[in-house]
Amino acid sequence: MINPTYLAQRTRTSASWADAKSRVIKSYRDWLRAAPEIQSMYTMNMPVPRIRTKIRQEFEKNRMVKHLPTVDVLITHSHTEFQETMNFWKQLNHVMKYFRTEEEPTARLPPNFITGFLEGRN
Amino acid sequence: MPPVQRVIGVRVAGCVARRPVAFSQMRFSSNTPPTQGSDEAPGPKAGESSLARTESASEGMAKHQPNYHAALDFRTSTFSPVPKHVMDGSESDVSVPAAVTSGAPIDLQARTVRIYQQAKNAMQSGAWHGNHWLMDWDVLSKGHRWENPLIGWQSTADVMQGERMEFKSKEDAINFANKQGYEYFVQEPNERRFIPKAYANNFMYSPKKLKIVRTK
Repeated sequence: MINPTYLAQRTRTSASWADAKSRVIKSYRDWLRAAPEIQSMYTMNMPVPRIRTKIRQEFEKNRMVKHLPTVDVLITHSHTEFQETMNFWKQLNHVMKYFRTEEEPTARLPPNFITGFLEGRN
Repeated sequence: MPPVQRVIGVRVAGCVARRPVAFSQMRFSSNTPPTQGSDEAPGPKAGESSLARTESASEGMAKHQPNYHAALDFRTSTFSPVPKHVMDGSESDVSVPAAVTSGAPIDLQARTVRIYQQAKNAMQSGAWHGNHWLMDWDVLSKGHRWENPLIGWQSTADVMQGERMEFKSKEDAINFANKQGYEYFVQEPNERRFIPKAYANNFMYSPKKLKIVRTK
């Protein structure tokens, strides 16, 4: 009997939007529940609510998708990231990639044209 | 981060896009397409604009402004251009929103792409390069190229500077650019104009006085 890797998900497509919604919410809840463990596992120097905010941001980024197969792919990405994170296959820098815009002052767009012009971003 | 507009779990069927205007791209040809069987020179005629716009001036003004509050990802840097629109899957005129799932940097959706056909080499008569369409990335405004301070090598921060994609047809290239959320413009090829000539026409009889006497 070959057991699948811990947190592996069987490949499937969503039967309908309601099915996709329940899968998304289930994945979101898994992520939220795992946030303290992620903080301790990767010894991150940030409070757990900040990790949860980032999880929420990542899910909100794809809220407006109207194409159901794209939602399936995004759910698969979520499961993949979750497995890689919780199995400790990642390292701290891979997890901190999600926080680059907050941690790195140069990783941002200018707020308006004049600021960008004065910075020399052309 | 734009504010959340709805409660989690509520999905309106046929939801409107978050932005007040529809998904926008620069869609214009740099030349009007040549008419078939015309004896006139190809390209824009007198009094005719060479840019065939499909939107009004106010619409264009609204759509083509850079969006300084667009989504960022971990590859955004001081070299990143400001995008006009970042694909978020809510566009109705895109069949597959590939930019959402591809994992490609957001910067690519900020950069303009040129779809063109390679011109025939004037020194040779081979025209095979005119049978496919190419997609080329416009040059970055900053970080395109600088001289390495140590040796003097040419350095670049442009990931796509050597990248060129080939397509069998113009529509394939346009569909790809649409799917990936690229801003694109199509550069129509310069059709060669051939005037059929016959030597016998120099000796054709004309009842009226000849304007140009081709024989002496």
